[in-house]
Order: sequence, then structure tokens, then C-alpha cells
Amino acid sequence: MITATMHRQPILERLSARLGVVGLIPFLLVLIVIGMSLFEPRFYGLSNVFNILRNTSFLAIMACGQMLVMIVGGMDLSVGAAAALTSVVAAKVMAGATEGLGVDPGLAVALGVGISLASAGAVGLLNGLCSALLRVPSLIVTLGTLSIVSGVTLIMTSGIPVYGLPQGFITGFGRALWWGLPAPVYVAVAMVAAVWLVQRKTVLGTHIYAIGGNPLAALVSGIPATFYIVLTFVLCALLAGVTGLLITAQMGSGQTNLGGDRLMLLSIAAAVIGGTSLRGGIGRAEIVGLSALFLSTLTNALNLLRIDSKKELVVLGLVVVVAVAIDSLGRGKAAVE
Amino acid sequence: MGEVDGIRSPAVVLAASRGRRENLVGVAGLFYRVLLPASPIILVLGFGFFVPTVLSLENIINIIQQTAFLFVLTGAQTIVLLTRGLDLSLGPSVSMISVGSALTMTVVLGTNGASGAVAALAGTAAGLLLGFLVGLFNGVVVAWLRVNPFVATLASMNICLGIGTSLSDGHPVFGIPEEFNVVGYRMHVLGIPMSIVYAIAVGVALHILLQYTVVGRSFYVLGSNPRAAIVAGWPRRRLLAVAYILSALLTAVGALILTARAASGAPNLGGGLSLQTIAAAVIGGVSLTGGRGGLSSAIIGSFFITILSNGMNLAEIDGYTQMLVMGAIVIFAVALDRIGRMEV
Repeated sequence: MITATMHRQPILERLSARLGVVGLIPFLLVLIVIGMSLFEPRFYGLSNVFNILRNTSFLAIMACGQMLVMIVGGMDLSVGAAAALTSVVAAKVMAGATEGLGVDPGLAVALGVGISLASAGAVGLLNGLCSALLRVPSLIVTLGTLSIVSGVTLIMTSGIPVYGLPQGFITGFGRALWWGLPAPVYVAVAMVAAVWLVQRKTVLGTHIYAIGGNPLAALVSGIPATFYIVLTFVLCALLAGVTGLLITAQMGSGQTNLGGDRLMLLSIAAAVIGGTSLRGGIGRAEIVGLSALFLSTLTNALNLLRIDSKKELVVLGLVVVVAVAIDSLGRGKAAVE
Repeated sequence: MGEVDGIRSPAVVLAASRGRRENLVGVAGLFYRVLLPASPIILVLGFGFFVPTVLSLENIINIIQQTAFLFVLTGAQTIVLLTRGLDLSLGPSVSMISVGSALTMTVVLGTNGASGAVAALAGTAAGLLLGFLVGLFNGVVVAWLRVNPFVATLASMNICLGIGTSLSDGHPVFGIPEEFNVVGYRMHVLGIPMSIVYAIAVGVALHILLQYTVVGRSFYVLGSNPRAAIVAGWPRRRLLAVAYILSALLTAVGALILTARAASGAPNLGGGLSLQTIAAAVIGGVSLTGGRGGLSSAIIGSFFITILSNGMNLAEIDGYTQMLVMGAIVIFAVALDRIGRMEV
């Protein structure tokens, strides 16, 4: 049976093995950029480029967190909810501190960022502890926390946006240009670089790969897997929180619904298209960042071509399937397990 | 994933961790074996203690009728879960099938001046065909393109969502023939509401499929020991595709009954059903790693979820708090299941 199927699809498999999904993304990205630039002058307008870069930044940070969880063999469905919680908590704290207590805006922003990231970290801690200690599949845990956290966020705000952020946080950061580029771009580059460094240069990174790649070997060689699994979930939630803060600063208000489940789905898509294995052990931050750029450019191109958001979903779905199919066919018979 | 202090030989580590787990199986396992089948009843009585209306005859009938819908769809999800798969496209495909079949019915009614019965049949056929296509897509992508089921159905979920909302521009489709609504929902057979009749029929069919047919039994092996299926020389990919197609056809049945209840094609009918059915199946005892579960787990799980939301509604707990409680209960129930069945 195995040999029969291998003989049946040799060309397809050889082709995809050579190209790989990672090799395909830059190629497709260039194709979109050239095609769009030829037919749609608005595409390379400065405001549109900035728009793409902002969306890429939001997505890349969240997708890097998602990738970390996937490397240890998990999945985080609660990233969107964690980002929304961060957004609401940050806005409430900042607004309360400046308007209610009359605290200096700079201090209020620091307080807001600190407390809101702590709340995101708590979500990650809950995810990690339930997955690692109670051994509940992370899909179910994060499905549960998605519901819990969304409930908490909605109870806090009744679904109404939270206004009253210090102006400096919005104009000086969220909507600002630093040295000619949107501020979130610098944050995203820093975050992706940090995750890359951790993955490449630290024991933490090596151990995370080991746990996902071969859990038994990791256990036997004395790696405290439970600790590292909890840590990756916390890191993932914190990164989602950073995305939440960036979007809050850009929108100028705390939002209970940062694009619904869309952001969560896109973060999974970006991680998976970026070559992260759902079975754990494989994933690189820089490629996930690249695939975030690809997805943001693609959705932007679809918008400019006036393909409405409903049909955009169909295209996104097909892109994900094709990308992952190429990837898993390329890995050949390893996928049959 | 257990904790290890210092480096020990693999055999010692494994033996130690296994011993510890077996203890848990003893106490929590027994607790769990008794608790699981009784949990929906405990839940009803618990809510009934605080809110007496929960135990009224009308509400009990209401609960059973509500459960019928969720049960059919949870059954569909269970088939795929058994093969170590997952169907995230279930909810959006319910919406798409609902809109697609409703549109077909209105078109047939309008252009040919056909009778309502013909239109209803055409709509049903269109719904089943759409379901078949979704299943075929999922099956081919999972089995032949070797895409992880999570990703494959995440993609088809988006595709169904896109098609479902653009078919009717996101508006509900009215003008469904009365015949469809009556046979699909409003009729009674021997005093039993149609939705319950359908649920019983689906339950019997599902049980026969999973227990007494070679194809159905093979789903368990595909999930619990895929390598065995390969070694035995089974047409593994074809079986996997069949699982996805059967699951999607069952989803189509559920979507058609829901459409008859709503008396319209509703583009947001499916909503959170994908995750709700996964939660119901897992609470009922289906394993996400495949090979475990069946008719009883779908019944228990769908009753559990329905009673929980019905009870919270009658207790006038607001929607946001309900989300919170539902999330916590799902995690708690599955944790209990895992501890009860701790496996290496």
C-alpha cells in the first residue's frame, strides 16, 4: 500500500520536496507585489504600504507566540481573546489613572501596559497549567479559556469600547511614524528578533524544540517539560497581549472584539504556512514573520481588487490548504503515521 | 510530560510515571465511570433545585428537543474524531447548507411553478449534495494531500463561511415551502416531535455504522492505531475520506432539520457549532487522539451542553457569564476525563 501510493505521485512529491512551502512564500509574495503594482497604483501608495506593514506587525507578533506553542505540540485558540482582554484592561487602567486619579500620562501608560500584560500572562498561565498538569488537550483548554476570557472581557465592558486613553499613547505611539515607518513595525521586528534569538541561541529555545520533537527523549534527559510547556503558553499569551496593545494604541480605544476570531485564525494560518509543524518540534520565527507579511499583503491585495471580505475567506482557506499540502507532500512518507 | 528530578534510566522513569498514574485511575476512574453517564441527570436536578421551572414537563420536552439537534451534529463530529481527526468546518457548513437548500427550494418554487413537495425534495437533495461536497473536500485534503485535519477543516471552514454568506449576501432566505417545515420539524409521529424522531433514526444508524459495519469499525483503528491499518493493507485513505463524507452527510441532515425549525435559510445558523460539537463529544468521552467514543458519548455530551445552557438561561444568568461558565465547565469536564483515564 505504501509503496503503491509512493509510485503513484512521484512528480508531485518531488516537486514539492524541492520547493517546499518556505521556498514558495517569497516567490508568491514577489508575484503579488509585481502583479498588484502593475494593475493597481494604489497598492504601492505610501499609506497602503504603511497599512500592510501595520497589519503585518500585528499578525507577526501573535503568530510567533502561536508558533512557540505549536512547537511544543500545542495550539492556542485563545490568542484573540487574550489580545482583547489586554486591550480592555490597558484602556481601563490608563483611562482610570489619568482621568480618575490624575496620574501623569507617562506613568498611566506604564501602569496600563504592565497590568494588562500581566492579565494576558495570567491567561497563558491558566492555559499552560491546564494543558501540562491536567493533561487536557490544548485545543480544548484554549477553547475553554477563549470562552472564559471573552466572557470576562464582555462583563468588564458590556461590549462597549473603552475610551479615554492618554493622547500620547495614540498619537505618539499607535499612529506615529518613527524614522519614517509606523511605530508597530519596530515593535514587531524587535519581538520576532527576540523570539528568533531565543530559539537559536538559548537553552530555552533548544529545550522547547526538544519537547516538541521527541517528548519521551526530553523527559528521559531530564528536561522539566511541564515548566517549559507552561512557559511557552505564557509567552504566547504575552505576545498576543503585545499585539492587543498595538491595536489599542492604533484604534485609540479598548476593544472587546479585536476582529473577532479572525486574528486567531490568521495567526494559526501564518504559523502553519510558515512551516510550523502541528505535530511539534518544527518552527522558525523569521519564516513565520515572513508568512505574516505574505498573508497581510494577500488580504490587502484582495481588498484593493474589491473582492469582498466574504470571498476573501474562500481565497484564504484555499491558500492555507495549498501551502500546507505542498509542505506535507514534500515531507513524503513521514506524514503517513 | 511528568516531572523528572535528575537523570534516571528510561525504564525507571516510565515505570515510575506509570505507577503513579495507575493510582489515579483507581480512584478518579471509578468516580468518573459513575459520574459521566449520570452527569446530565445530576445537572438537571442541580438546576431544578434552584430553579424549579427546569423540572417542568414542558421544559424537559424542550431540553430533549434542543438536544436532538446538537446530538445529530455531535454524532457527525464524533465520526471524524474517532479517526483522530477534527471538523472545524461543521458549523459554517451547517450555515452554507441551510442557505443553499433554502435557495434551491425558493428557486424551484418560483420558476417552474412546481408543488411545494417537489421543491422540498429538491432542497433536501441540494443540501445533501452540498454536504457531500464539503465531506469530499475535507476527505481528499486530509487523506490524499496529507494536510493535518485541523488545518484542512480550518480552511474549509473559511471556504464554507465565505460561500454561505455570499450565496444570499448574508440575508436569511425566506419562502421555504410549508411541506418542508412540516415534515422537517412541526409534524409529530405518534405524538413524538419530528426532531426527536430524526435524532432516534440518526442514533440507530450511527450505532449500526460504528458497531456492526466493517467501515465503521475501521474508523476506530484508523484513530487508535493508524499504523496497524497500513500494515493490514487497508485502503486507509479511502476509509478516511469515507469518514469525512459520512460525517458531512450527517451534518447536512442536521442542517436541514435546523433549517426546517427556523423556517428559513439562515447564514448564521452554524455559528459556534463546530466548537460546541467538539466540546460535547469530548465531554461525552470521545478522545481527541482518536479511537474512543460512540453513540453514548454523543448522547451524554449533547445532553450535558444543552442542559447547561438551558439551566443557565432559566436561572437568568446573563450571556457573558454563561460564556465564562461554559468555558470553565468544558476544561473541568475534560480534565476529569483525562485524570480518570490517565494513559501513558
